[in-house]
Amino acid sequence: MLLDAIPDQTLAIPESVTAVFHNFFTCEMTTIGKTGRPITWPLMPLYWPQRGQFVLFTSIGLPQKAFNVRQDPRVSLLFSDATGSELTDPPIVLVQGEAQVSDEIISLFSGMEPELRDLLKVQASKMLARQPAMKLYMKNGLTRYLMDWYFMRLAITVSPRRIHWWDAGDYARLPQVQEVNHVV
Amino acid sequence: MWSDILNHSAAYESAVLTALDAGSYPFSLRCRPQWDNTAQTLRLNLPAGIVLEPGPACLLWHRHDARLWNLHSFAVRGTLARDETGWYVQPEQFIPGVGVGGWRSYVRFLVNGRRTTRRYLAQRNLARPKLDWDEFGQTNTTSSPGFGIGPVRQGGTG
Repeated sequence: MLLDAIPDQTLAIPESVTAVFHNFFTCEMTTIGKTGRPITWPLMPLYWPQRGQFVLFTSIGLPQKAFNVRQDPRVSLLFSDATGSELTDPPIVLVQGEAQVSDEIISLFSGMEPELRDLLKVQASKMLARQPAMKLYMKNGLTRYLMDWYFMRLAITVSPRRIHWWDAGDYARLPQVQEVNHVV
Repeated sequence: MWSDILNHSAAYESAVLTALDAGSYPFSLRCRPQWDNTAQTLRLNLPAGIVLEPGPACLLWHRHDARLWNLHSFAVRGTLARDETGWYVQPEQFIPGVGVGGWRSYVRFLVNGRRTTRRYLAQRNLARPKLDWDEFGQTNTTSSPGFGIGPVRQGGTG
């Protein structure tokens, strides 16, 4: 079942693009390293439609993305892998923008705004429905000990500057491009 | 490095290429790199209308199943260039990710993660946060909220 689309209050983009933001499990996030070299990671994005922004989380045990963003805020998010999204022929979407990293460490659900927390819970519930074994895994004392650091996270908030999309993921077509001038 | 690229990319149909655009923003797209075994480069057929700057680049291969399970990923850093034949990436660094390297890689991931966490907190004089596992269970959200599933970083890249 697809997530109900929350009305987008800030970005003038078609529903097909919003559906990608809500339903893709992963995006490919690129940050720019100290030497000006891009590095790309697969990450779970969270779209925050009320603000027209994206939030991604990274553990303080894997902080390089956050360090990169603090040094150079230019990032991109590519939505190109529809596996598990239940969308048919979705567009490929590229978001370019600037990112900020929280100083505060978020532990599981604590330390975040209620609106974001609600969105995160929806995403997590969807995941749980597909990964019931994860519940048992996270109840285990040993795995909690070994993996607790993974849930001590920094929030990376991405404000889009430009959104490109290729309908039906077809690069033979020219992309449609939306410049974003105002983000809350 | 070249053999690592060949071994791990063989199972993939496509990869994500990222380079910088004219405004120095990262620009990513899906592509199908072709091996050039003689030159040990990855040849690319880029769509018309996409303008990338020759220079630093990254190729990422990753996959997961419909449950976001069975993760696998790795990346290659290198240089994007163009010659009379077309675009190519000259690989310079292989970065193993999730599912590459077997159980040793997973152990290294856990050990490095714990060590980096301790260092991050110590450098900022921060106490180790307490996790509310009960709340986690009650909310029925025991999966990975905002899970980063990026490459298990080995080596000083980024």
